[in-house]
Amino acid sequence: MGKEWLIFVPGIEDLIEGKETIVTIRDLSPGRKKYNAKVVKAILSRNPEEFPEADILWVRSWIGTLYQRPWAIKIIEEAGDYIHGSPHGETLGSISDL
Amino acid sequence: MSFKDLREFISRLKETGDIKFVKEEVDWELEVGAVSRRNYELSGPAILFEKIKDYPSGYSILNGSLGTFRRVAIAFGLPPETSVRELYREYEKRKEHLIPPKILEKGPCKENIIRGSDVDVNHFPAPYIHEGDGGRYIGTWDIVVCMDPDTKWQNWGMYRFMIHNERYIVGFPRLHSHLGLLLHQKYKPKNKPMPIALVLGADPISHLIASASIRKGINEAEVSGAVNREAIELVKCETNDLMVPAHAEIVIEGEILPDATAQEGPFGEYPGYRTEGVRMGVLARINAITFRDNPILTMISLGIPPDDNSVATPITSAIAVKERLKASGIPVTDVYTPPEAVIHTVIIGVKSGGNAIVRQILDILTTRRSDWSKIIVVDQDVDVFDMAQVIHALSTKCHPRRGIIIKDVEKGKGNPLTPCLTPEERRAYMAPVVAFDCTWPPEWPKETHIPIKSSFNEIYPEEIKQKVIEKWKSYGF
Repeated sequence: MGKEWLIFVPGIEDLIEGKETIVTIRDLSPGRKKYNAKVVKAILSRNPEEFPEADILWVRSWIGTLYQRPWAIKIIEEAGDYIHGSPHGETLGSISDL
Repeated sequence: MSFKDLREFISRLKETGDIKFVKEEVDWELEVGAVSRRNYELSGPAILFEKIKDYPSGYSILNGSLGTFRRVAIAFGLPPETSVRELYREYEKRKEHLIPPKILEKGPCKENIIRGSDVDVNHFPAPYIHEGDGGRYIGTWDIVVCMDPDTKWQNWGMYRFMIHNERYIVGFPRLHSHLGLLLHQKYKPKNKPMPIALVLGADPISHLIASASIRKGINEAEVSGAVNREAIELVKCETNDLMVPAHAEIVIEGEILPDATAQEGPFGEYPGYRTEGVRMGVLARINAITFRDNPILTMISLGIPPDDNSVATPITSAIAVKERLKASGIPVTDVYTPPEAVIHTVIIGVKSGGNAIVRQILDILTTRRSDWSKIIVVDQDVDVFDMAQVIHALSTKCHPRRGIIIKDVEKGKGNPLTPCLTPEERRAYMAPVVAFDCTWPPEWPKETHIPIKSSFNEIYPEEIKQKVIEKWKSYGF
């Protein structure tokens, strides 16, 4: 296993397994840049042992609770510094949905 | 006494014994947050962490500059033992006499300047405060400056911002904050980036004023001067037209992107819980950072009370409520929010109450947005600063049906940090607000309906009270 990363998700069931997906992950390497974010295209797996060349991906829920079992992540490429969208877009979306 | 900068304030705290200097190396990851949190919960002093892991000597972190009423009093230039009631009075009185800021050509905050591709916000020891937070929070006890592009009004707010990466920070200014409204009304429709400056380590009063609810159009720098009783010195940013406190320790100049976002949070917030989860935040690209030699990064390890946000900020919030109610014709006498209420419960005293007045108060306090989820209204015979009296009034005068009035606040205007809300309510800023009417109905005849309060002051004739007071010692007390 290589580096370790962290991801926040609404719930563990929201992680997409086995196909390319765009995710925001945080670098857990020690030093000043720990917790810096990267937006990447990656493939995720719930079974790190079946994905030996991948990095470790620790998963926290939307309020920060750590799931005990890490996933694996294979980063395909970086996908820019950020996500295109509106500031407060999620909240504006929630308001209009209700 | 007023303080031109944070360093003068730290010197004063040293004189009064209200600061601890930690010289042992501490880790910016969790250790600084944990020490600060425990210290708050022990009602300890402010802390200056002087040696931070991964950072050169001279880079320090100050936690809890206004975390006790003593330190608020010191910041006001008052004796440390000044009463809470007097602090509220003093703030209310001083803020009326606005003092325009002085504009300087240069200031200490320009001692070092990093621009463009040299920018790396990791240059500063931003703490990772609570286990499970979304990232390192560079902005917790900050001042975020922005501007109305039409009127040129410059607004100060206090919003949390975390490091996204070297060149970007991402924050949580709420939709209905002044920054949020300016962004969505003035910049986003034109797809224009919104200039901001995130200021760390200014004089203590300026941070307090940034956290205050000040009406749109009023320059917070003038209010800060008023409360400080001396003009605040400002200097222009390097990359935009925003004016920032010249003596600040660190100024991060950037622009909020109208068409971009990034994950922000979660973060252990002022209600004492990590309630609202990770969300797509307000993303700012950093264009320059200016800072003093040996910069001091201000922070608060937010959590359960007491901390700066539950002790100092409620003073400004309560007075803002008082002013709004007065302006709307409510016969308000006093407003208080104790630290334990974490700006969720507000206690309002009125000369004359009743259901109609309480409903009116509820409407006024939910017009633009609603931070308060519980409003307690009491008659003027109850001292709002005395929680024993307030709980007594709530227990005895609030009718279990007629006295409880619940209002559903429009979506987008509620407080998403209120822990008891469902995840769906938090996400949509949707929260009901309840008012507890602890006043006597005005239609009740005094002679027959209003119960007689059995307190020494109210149930005995004057001559008996006088006699008892005069003979008190002779009774053997």
